Amino acid sequence: MRKKLQIIFSQTMMISTAILFGVGVQMLIYHLAYGTEDLHWPWYLPLTFVFSGFLCALPTMALLYDDEISAKQLGIREAIHFVLVGVLVSLCGYLFQWYETVAEYIPILIMYVVIYFFVWIATIWLMKRDEKMINAALEEIRDEE
Amino acid sequence: MKVEIRQVDSPDQERAEIHAVKITEDIQRAIDILDHNCCVLSVTDQGRTLLCSADKIYYFESIDKKTYVYTKDACYETGYRLYELETMLGSNFLRIAKAMILNIRKIRSVKGEMNGRMTAHLLNGEKVIIARSYVKDFKERLGI
Repeated sequence: MRKKLQIIFSQTMMISTAILFGVGVQMLIYHLAYGTEDLHWPWYLPLTFVFSGFLCALPTMALLYDDEISAKQLGIREAIHFVLVGVLVSLCGYLFQWYETVAEYIPILIMYVVIYFFVWIATIWLMKRDEKMINAALEEIRDEE
Repeated sequence: MKVEIRQVDSPDQERAEIHAVKITEDIQRAIDILDHNCCVLSVTDQGRTLLCSADKIYYFESIDKKTYVYTKDACYETGYRLYELETMLGSNFLRIAKAMILNIRKIRSVKGEMNGRMTAHLLNGEKVIIARSYVKDFKERLGI
C-alpha cells in the first residue's frame, strides 16, 4: 500500500510539472508569436493542475503497474491509458475552464500528445540505459554453460 | 563452536578441520559449502531424495505452498520455503518475485518493459519475470 501511495504521489508530481511545463512552452510561443507579456490565472488554477495530475496518476497505477500481465496485455493497456488520460485531461480542462472554445482546446490536446510521447520516450531511454548497465554487469558474473 | 582461522600463503595450503561431538545440520551445511565451494540442497524427484549443488540451480518457485527447484533441464521439489532459501543461499540468489528466487549467474540477458518490470532470459532458454518491486534490489545486487 505504501509503495502504491509513493507511485501515485510521484506520478502526481510528474504530471503536474508536465502540465506547468506545457503552459510554459505555450506562453513562450505566444510571447514570440504575438508579443504576449502577461498571464492571468484564477486563484484556483495551480491547484487544478495538481488535482488533474492526481486524477491522471490513478489510471497509470491501475492499468500499468501490474506484474501479472503479458506483454500483449500491456500494449493494449498502454493504448487504453493514452485515451483515458486524454479524456481526463480534456474533462479537467473543461471543468476548470482551461479552455472555453475549440480553438483553445486544440493546443491543450496537442500539448497532451507531445508531453505523453515525450514521457514515453524518456521512459524508454531510461529503460534501455538500465538494460545496458545490467547486461554489462551480468557479463562479469555469468556462469559458463 | 569456537572458530579459529589461520592465514596461509597459497591456496594449496588451505584446509578446514572440524572438531565436533556430532555432525549437526549446520555443520553438514558448512561441510557441503567447503567441499563443493557452494551450498548443497536436498531435493526430491518422484520420491527419491537427491543432493543438488546450488551452482546447478537456475531458480526456485513456490506454487501452492510447495517449493520447486529448477536446474538446466530438470525440476525437483524441496522441503525448504523460499524465505529459508533466501537466508541459506549465497548472494547469487535473489528474490525476483513474491514466489521466485533466481540465480543471477544463470541470466543470459535482461529486457526492460514499460511498466517497470524486466524479463530475464536464462542460459537454458527459459524466460522469467523480475517483478517491478524487486528490480531495485536486483540492480543494487549488481552494484548499479
